[in-house]
Parts: sequence; C-alpha cells; structure tokens
Amino acid sequence: MKHFVFLLPATLAAVTIFSMAGTPSARGDEPKQHIDVGRLPEQATLVDDVIVPVPSEVFGVLDKLGSPNWHDVLRSADVSAPGARSETALLLGDVIAEGFVAVEAQDTEQVKKIGRTVLDLSSALGVRKAVVARSSAIIEDADKKDWTAVRQELDQALSDVKQAMIELHDEELAQLVSLGGWLRGTEALTQVVDRNYTKDSAGLLHQPALLDYFDHRLANMSPRLRSDDIVAHIQKRLPEIRPLIGEADSDISKQSVEQIRDIVHDLVIEIAPPQ
Amino acid sequence: MKSFPNIALTLFCVVLLLPMRAHATVDDALSFALQAADPYVKEGFTVREDYWGGDLPVKQQKAIVHQLFKGNEYWFWMGTDVENARISVHVYDSDGNLAEVEHWQKDHMAAARVVPKTTGSYYLIVEIEKSDRERTHWSLAYGFR
Repeated sequence: MKHFVFLLPATLAAVTIFSMAGTPSARGDEPKQHIDVGRLPEQATLVDDVIVPVPSEVFGVLDKLGSPNWHDVLRSADVSAPGARSETALLLGDVIAEGFVAVEAQDTEQVKKIGRTVLDLSSALGVRKAVVARSSAIIEDADKKDWTAVRQELDQALSDVKQAMIELHDEELAQLVSLGGWLRGTEALTQVVDRNYTKDSAGLLHQPALLDYFDHRLANMSPRLRSDDIVAHIQKRLPEIRPLIGEADSDISKQSVEQIRDIVHDLVIEIAPPQ
Repeated sequence: MKSFPNIALTLFCVVLLLPMRAHATVDDALSFALQAADPYVKEGFTVREDYWGGDLPVKQQKAIVHQLFKGNEYWFWMGTDVENARISVHVYDSDGNLAEVEHWQKDHMAAARVVPKTTGSYYLIVEIEKSDRERTHWSLAYGFR
C-alpha cells in the first residue's frame, strides 16, 4: 500500500447529497435497513469524492459474462506523446485501458508494447520513475502469460502514475489520466456489449456517479487545461452520455449502448488518433 | 532543571514528531484493515492497493460514494488503531436500502460484504461508534472478486 487518499470536502452535489434519518449502525450490532437519500443531516459529513473503480473490476465482470472476441476490440498501441501535457495525460490513460483489452485478447506482444508505451508517456509527463518497475513487471508477466498479474500491474501503474502526478502538484493531469482510461474502457465495453447484447452486460454502463465525478472535475479544471481543444470537446460531449445510462433498476437499451459507443469513440479517436 | 537549549530541542522534536505520529496512526489503522482483509485474500479477493481514511469524532459518520458492478462481490474492511474503539462500515444502494449481505465488527476492525444486485452508485457509511479519543483515525480498504 503506497497511497493514502484523503477524502476531500464536499461540493459534488449530485452524487454526494446524502442524508440519514438516523444513524446507520445505530446502538446495537444491526445497521438500519434503510436511510433517506436526499437530505443532509447535521451530523453527517459530506465527502466530495467518488471511489473510481480500477479497470480490473469491470473486466472481471466481463470475464464472467462470456468470451467475446477481444482481438476485434483491440487497437494498435502505436502512439507518440502529443505536445500538450493534458493530451499526453489523456493518452496515457487511454493506453493503460488498452492494456486491459490486450490482456483480455491474451496478446503478449501487444501487452509488452503497451508496457513500453506506458513508460514513454510517463517519461513525457515527468513521472517515469513511478512506473519503471511496473512497466518491467507488465512485460515480464506478459512473457509468462500471467494475465492476472498483468492486470494487477496495470491497475497499479494507473494508480502509481496518478499518485506521482499528485505529488508533483499535477492533480488535474492525474484526473485526465483517469478520464482517458475511463473513455477507452467505456468504448471497449460498449463494443463488447453491442456485439452480444444482454441487459446484464449493458447494465455495466450504468455509472452515474463516475459521469458526474468527471463532469464536475472538468468543470473545475484550470482555464488553461479547459482551453485545450480535446479537453473542451470531452467536457462538451460527456453530458450527452448521462441520459443514456438510465436510472437505477432501468435497462439500458441496445440503441443507447450504440449511442454511447459512438460518443466515446469520437472522443477516443481524438485522444489517440490512428497512426 | 533542563537548560533552555534542551527544552527548545525537546519542543522542536515534539513539533517534528506530531505530524509523524498522526500519519503513524492512519498507517496503523490501515494495518488493521489489511489484517481484516487477509483471510479473504486467501478466498480469491483482490485487494485494491489504494485506501481511504481520515479521523472522525465519535458518532459522526462519513459517506463515500462508490461505483459497484453487478457480477462482482465486494468486501469493505475498516480499521482503527485505537484500543477499545468500536467502528462500523455499512453499504447502502442508491435508494438508501441496506445493500450488504453480511457484516461484522471486532476489536480494531469492521467489515461489510456486498453482492450488488445492480450496477450503479452505492454509499459506504463509516462511523466511529465508540472511542475514548476525541478523534479516532480510521482507514478503509476494499477487495473484489
């Protein structure tokens, strides 16, 4: 365990407005069966942070849903660092997410190439030291075809690079790494779901807290970063996804999956243009 | 009687050590959370290497939003370093219904297991139920399979 993430003060209204009619754990051992969500009691502390899941959590579920042809989803990892650091951060997240697709496809060479690309992009962002060991481990584990280990290293590479950026006071860039990864991960997810649509698999796209989180983060980024063409475009198009992911307990239609796929695909192509 | 330089040196060391001690308690809290996680790792749970924490007064809760995915199974483990403190972690769905299928509390530790019925936002509620400290450090880790 290397990272300690302090929870931030509250401002993320849509996902953190939280209320409890009473204490959830009350006096005895048994917690309350229900709490009121919507009003904030005086005694509660709001937290302005969402736990962003690691990609392994999503890909782990996809494993259980069947074996799609991941080679059809896999893209080339031939990328080079763009000039702008904001775009490099988005691309780094995108490439790490691509690593998960390559693991699903069990494509050793592609995983190794991605391991090296992660290192190159991290160098461009000044955080090479944080991921050298991870990059080597990704390549070694890929050679051994230890896909579970590769996944864990990719999860941790994502975390390490973000933590290193935070330590360099580049927290906004760290958020862009997360966002780039989420966009490519979501694109891959929609491609897989669309090819073999089921309500359960489409339900994986129901991620309102994450959408609100990224939307909020983009809205509060420095004007310098928000003026970047790609960042600005993402900020403009992200809200289009919100109505497509449905409410809790409602199904996400195949048509909505396709619409989400088209939106994120456009954004991913901007982040990582085909070489 | 200590000389002024000795007193100053002592005060300087105390000031230096205060923040270190604060971090140490969070790290200690985490060590208990990980101790709670240990048996489940043997059952195939992957423990995420990031963790969350802070300090809270007794009876004050903290709500944390978490995206959970149907198809996964989750354990959330909370720890504290404070002797005789009683802590809890519980999980509610986006409608405010208790979502956990199992929970437990022990000395220094608490945990809750969730098998999400739907993919979406869930609320983790952590609380210091009892402690003789004004504020009690806590740490939360989770695992999935």
